[in-house]
Amino acid sequence: MSARDYLGEFEHIIVLALLRLEDRAYGVTVRQEIELRTQREVSIGAVYATLDRLESKGYVKSHFGDPTPERGGRSKRFFRVTAKGVAAVNRTRRALLSMTEGLDLIRSYS
Amino acid sequence: MTPKADFIQPPRLAAWLVKLFASGEEESILGDLTEEYSDLALNSGLVFARHWYWRQAVKTIAHLSGNGFRGAPWSTAAAVIGGVVLHRFVSGLPDKILSAATDRYLAFWSTHFKAYVFLLNGMPIEHIIGSIFVGCVVALAAKGREMIATMTLALVFCTLIFAAMVWVATHRGVDVAWMLWSSADPIAIVVGGAIVRTQRLAATTRPSNS
Repeated sequence: MSARDYLGEFEHIIVLALLRLEDRAYGVTVRQEIELRTQREVSIGAVYATLDRLESKGYVKSHFGDPTPERGGRSKRFFRVTAKGVAAVNRTRRALLSMTEGLDLIRSYS
Repeated sequence: MTPKADFIQPPRLAAWLVKLFASGEEESILGDLTEEYSDLALNSGLVFARHWYWRQAVKTIAHLSGNGFRGAPWSTAAAVIGGVVLHRFVSGLPDKILSAATDRYLAFWSTHFKAYVFLLNGMPIEHIIGSIFVGCVVALAAKGREMIATMTLALVFCTLIFAAMVWVATHRGVDVAWMLWSSADPIAIVVGGAIVRTQRLAATTRPSNS
């Protein structure tokens, strides 16, 4: 994996949600956080598909919690961002800022 | 704050479908869906929660399918191509066996003509069993992506069948019975995949004796 890799749009959103949620980040909270902040309906499948991709890239790590009754006796899978993931977020953010620098987006294109 | 004593059972069919497609992640995905479903059912009503669950299930299956195919495109494609070849071999087999048997035991069939007619009428059923067998073999070959491989194979057959239907409709007229019967093959293939996937899930969740 190249050190110059940038996060895709949804990957970026997911990693930011994980950073906001800290140790409370699992499927339900990640999905709800994204829906709350972006006002877009997200499926749990999209969240897990992206989290799996991020985990395979080494940007996030996961571990299972204890089974809980409100989940039908199933465990929660908690996620956290790795140092490599934080570096990828910063790299992507810098690239986006650099690309938008000097553009008066609201006045010119609205 | 009182702890939640129990959960509300989500739609079983939708949960089963998600379980078929969620390879290795069924525990966390179904747990998340159940947790949110229980909350929604309590706060917004059962009807709203059911609609939400089904919407989530369909979208989740679509995402998991796409992700599963992208994760191993070549091995999935190999399983599908193998399935097409196997289906071509298997689909002609019942006719060949019946022809060979009638040729060899002509005297027997002439005295048991009803049995011969019964076998002849049962030929479409044998084709369906053949397609289920192909679905099972493809699913066995595509371990962890059973449903994705069999769904892809079914889509390949759907495309071929659709093309054949268009050709037949333009050249010979519409034959609704034949059209309906033709669509049974892809369904049977997916059923075969679901059988293998269900068996594998049962084997992984079965408690150990130790």
